[in-house]
Amino acid sequence: MTLSESGESRVNGYLYVLERSLAAFLPRDTVRDAVREIESHLRERIAAADMAPNERVVLEKILSELGPPLRVAQAYSAERTVEEAVTTGRFIAMLRAIWQLAVTTLSGFGMAIVFFTGYASAFAFFAIAALKPIFPDNVGIQFIHGMPIGLGVHFPGPPPGSELRGGYWVMPFAAICGLGILVGTHRGARAFLARWRARRASHYD
Amino acid sequence: MTTDTWQEQLRRGSLDLAILLSLSHGARYGLAIIQHLEAFTDLVVTEGTIYPILGRLTRDGLLDATWVEGEAPHPRKYYRLTRAGQRRLDRMKSDWRAFTDKIERLIRAAESAEP
Repeated sequence: MTLSESGESRVNGYLYVLERSLAAFLPRDTVRDAVREIESHLRERIAAADMAPNERVVLEKILSELGPPLRVAQAYSAERTVEEAVTTGRFIAMLRAIWQLAVTTLSGFGMAIVFFTGYASAFAFFAIAALKPIFPDNVGIQFIHGMPIGLGVHFPGPPPGSELRGGYWVMPFAAICGLGILVGTHRGARAFLARWRARRASHYD
Repeated sequence: MTTDTWQEQLRRGSLDLAILLSLSHGARYGLAIIQHLEAFTDLVVTEGTIYPILGRLTRDGLLDATWVEGEAPHPRKYYRLTRAGQRRLDRMKSDWRAFTDKIERLIRAAESAEP
């Protein structure tokens, strides 16, 4: 069965939206393979269908049985993204997976805030460690009235009424704190994703 | 939990087994798997979401996937069970039978106790 120009355009539009949606989460070769398989499914359904008398109605039925492209893409990307993160533990893959869950599930959103805070804190400590030798007088522990209130970087200098203390030992201290928080956050995120993955095994329509 | 939710969970939880079963007698491409499932069950609600499951089972080493061209006007991706997939299927079938036997015994016990 050959589609009319508008029917062909509808199929291509579906595949385009699917491809763009998948490309946001998946590697290019995976996207190509997935779109090719879905197109094969569509062409097969179309070839077997009797498109008369109303091609548009029949085509819409085929597409609705296949599912909206965003839903199909979500099922693909959730499987792949989380799987890659859990399997490899790579930082970028972890961020992608956390982002994926944050925008699709409530628990994912909550955990994403926790993990974002953890990662951001770790990198803040690393920044302190890196900046100490460059700006030794601007990096250290801030004291107000003799009470330590925080570790950080202050430009052009500590706020009035406070002073910065701490020698170069701040560098290893901040680096160790950053590393500890980073490893803890990363392990926590990976464990969360692994649990989510196990829970969601076989959970797609 | 509503009946709909329970049935949905049951349906989703059985999909892996159903897909592996549909491949137990040889290779099938995606649409043929879906049609086989549709012929025997109502497990497939949204056809497009079967493909990510096939992808996961392939990455888990339970299925082999191969593109075949020339057989139809468009290429088809065929899936077949690997040895690991066959072993998993055997185990899942055994687990499923044991589980349904237990539930069935429970149902019979409950029904025989009814006044």
